[in-house]
Amino acid sequence: MRTGLGATMVRAARRLLSSLPALFGVLVFTFLLMRVLPGDPAVFFASGPNAGKEEIEQIRKQMGLDRSVPEQLVFYLSDIGHGNLGRSMMTGQPVLKDLRERLPASLELTFTALLIALIAAVPLGVVAALRPGSVVDHGVRLFCALGVCVPTFVSGLLLIYVFYYLLGLAPDPTGRIDVFTTLPPQRTGFLSIDFLLAGDIEGWWTACRQLILPAVSMALFVIAPLARITRASMLVSLGSDFVRTARSVGLSWHKVVVTYALRNAILPVITIAGIVFSTMLGANVLVEKVFSWPGVASYALDALLSSDYAPVQGFVLLMASLFVLVNLVVDICYGIADPRVSIG
Amino acid sequence: MLATVALLLIANAPSQAQTRAETLRYVTGASVNTLDPNIPGSTRESFALSMSTYDRLVAFGRKQLNGKWVFDLDKITGELAESYDVSPDGLKLTFHLRKDAKFQDGSPVTAEDVKWSLDRCVTAPILGKAQLLTGSLTSADQFKVIDPLTIEVTLPKPDKLALPNLATVYPMIINSKLAKQHATADDPWATAWLKENTAGSGAYVLESFKPGEQAIIKRNEAWNRGSPDKPAFFKRVIIQSVPEPATRANLVERGDADLVVDLQASDVQSLEAKGKLKVISTPQYNSITFVSMNNQIPPFDNVNVRRAIAFALPYDDMFKAALFGRGAPLFGASWPDGKPLNGIYPFQQPVKLDLDKAREYLKAAGLPEGFSTTFSFNVGQASTAEPMAALVKESLGKIGIKVDIQKLPDAQMSTQINEKKLPFFTEGIVAWLPSTDYFYRNFYTGNQRWNYSSINNPDLVAIAQEARFEPDKAKYEEAGRKLNAMHADLMPQIMLWQPNQDAVMASSIEGYTYEFHRQVDYRDVSRK
Repeated sequence: MRTGLGATMVRAARRLLSSLPALFGVLVFTFLLMRVLPGDPAVFFASGPNAGKEEIEQIRKQMGLDRSVPEQLVFYLSDIGHGNLGRSMMTGQPVLKDLRERLPASLELTFTALLIALIAAVPLGVVAALRPGSVVDHGVRLFCALGVCVPTFVSGLLLIYVFYYLLGLAPDPTGRIDVFTTLPPQRTGFLSIDFLLAGDIEGWWTACRQLILPAVSMALFVIAPLARITRASMLVSLGSDFVRTARSVGLSWHKVVVTYALRNAILPVITIAGIVFSTMLGANVLVEKVFSWPGVASYALDALLSSDYAPVQGFVLLMASLFVLVNLVVDICYGIADPRVSIG
Repeated sequence: MLATVALLLIANAPSQAQTRAETLRYVTGASVNTLDPNIPGSTRESFALSMSTYDRLVAFGRKQLNGKWVFDLDKITGELAESYDVSPDGLKLTFHLRKDAKFQDGSPVTAEDVKWSLDRCVTAPILGKAQLLTGSLTSADQFKVIDPLTIEVTLPKPDKLALPNLATVYPMIINSKLAKQHATADDPWATAWLKENTAGSGAYVLESFKPGEQAIIKRNEAWNRGSPDKPAFFKRVIIQSVPEPATRANLVERGDADLVVDLQASDVQSLEAKGKLKVISTPQYNSITFVSMNNQIPPFDNVNVRRAIAFALPYDDMFKAALFGRGAPLFGASWPDGKPLNGIYPFQQPVKLDLDKAREYLKAAGLPEGFSTTFSFNVGQASTAEPMAALVKESLGKIGIKVDIQKLPDAQMSTQINEKKLPFFTEGIVAWLPSTDYFYRNFYTGNQRWNYSSINNPDLVAIAQEARFEPDKAKYEEAGRKLNAMHADLMPQIMLWQPNQDAVMASSIEGYTYEFHRQVDYRDVSRK
């Protein structure tokens, strides 16, 4: 077993190394792309009522834009080598600090949403697969279609309207925590964990309450692909020889469906879950905006609109690295779900 | 859905009572990005914050305009200065500082601090430099310490805008002893440090600051610049960024937020109709929304084309579609003898939708068949500009002008305006110190960004420059009339309206005043 684990680690490390050239490519590509976009950040940020040519030049210098593009690239790469992602004009903070503060918010939201989605989608898919063509199956199909059709910001606004505005059950949709609550000492950056570590149950509730609506509106959107893939994969698995055999020898329903069919059907679901997670992390910008969630996606969008180069570049680099990591984790999960699979 | 309800019911623990009445929660779509408003790139929210964390020598008074409180450019009161004298020739301003004024660290405010702060404003590479230039304040030699509580400002010319300039955002008074400790050889004016720290004597002390999310300030109990013996009303002010306008509207309607000034016009209208909240709508009388034409690019270099456009815009429909009529229109005036009614800019122009007249002008321009062009606006303005652009396109189509609508990201739009590449677009301007000559000098002069129409008319420039230093009110008025007549004749760009600042607040909030920086001055407001 130990050798098995060791081998997995070695392969994981090799895998990680081989993704470095891709990351470098992303880095250079984003850098060039930002320079090709027609907006000039210096002009945008010199928007004071009296800002003239002088201010524009000064901001350009401050952002290093007075140099040639190759020179800028060299400086940029050497900065990255020193762990410096530059400074955001928008927030006035180093990009690394901004991302470090905002990434946990995005991750916490995305993890919760994915968890809710999986808890809802896998049983839905299984139930639909057990009775294909039945009312239940059509019901699941309708629910999934609705979830995909309604854009996340619409479902977000609807949830706010119903649960905050009409019923008053939800807290005000302004970020991760009620403004009047004091924050726990920062350890992981995940508020729900930090509050527990600090032993502050009341604070934990406040943080969870803030999390529910945005997580649900994000989950609604991704339940569909997860439920559909579970259903399809379960259908294949239920129709296979080993399930027929299991049924014929009179194993219990639970053993047949959960242990044999589902375990074999789960591989594609894990793959999709990995992809869904990466997409959600970048694509939840609308949910972040609607719920004033201080995450990385809304940060990157604001930066893009104002041509603030450093945060956009930092964000893309972060996303690319996360994508590599998520893929790796998915591959490792494969190995656990199906010992025959090995990563390489 | 049911699961959501259940989760929320469980999670709905009673929230503890707070000193809510003594806290002002202000929500905004923008955010504070620096604690020193002088830093290039600082946002309007940063301006507002600095008004509360720092004091200036003087401040604007306030007056009633159509029953609403607005800042008064003509009434300058002391803030850190107890009183001030202007010499008879207008070349010397002497400020006598308050004896009891202290910085937030307890040290007294002295004339040395004032001099250092004003020197910084005209010397350091910061925003204050360009602003103070408009008041003939350009060099550190102009500020002289007479004694620890007296400072003298000398002017090369009797500039009317020198004193008002000292009440604007930038020339804030900084604790020079504290700031100097953080100055470096590269950064002698401590700009890097002041960007992330405050060193003022203002009504509020910064408690916490999360860029892009929120800033919390608490009351400075020793501050007495607003009324002789009282600090500001609210103990705490929470300035929170909520990007989604519909959410801001919900927050203030539910009573969770107290005050918001940047809602969408449609939301303001429905909130006003419900009557639960107080809505104070003030036309932003120091700002203007334009339809601009680049006077250097054909066919807009032809004055008759510009006139044709001016008579082909569906003003009333645009006003309703874009702003729901919430603002002060700058069109549809009638000038009985064809002359301006007064010398004040901006003015209501004698233009209205008249397609026959527009066609005549097009014919006179030699373009009876019309032409094709693009009409641009920026994404940030989409909620108002998008319906407007559609109406412009439809109406101009009737006289043969084919319009392509171009929606540009904000940074691209400002770049293209700066490079003078857009032929036809809509944009807005704002002036902190709205006087006729100031508008004409800054927005109709020179090859610079704010001259949207790129008009280059030496006569206009000469009249505006001369008016700047004109002490005689009647002559100044005469110059203003001349400029306005030229504007109406040359039609470099078309003034549309002055949008309302719609401040929506809990009914208990009092004292809201429309300020020159178009944000809330937290020192103004109180709760009943």
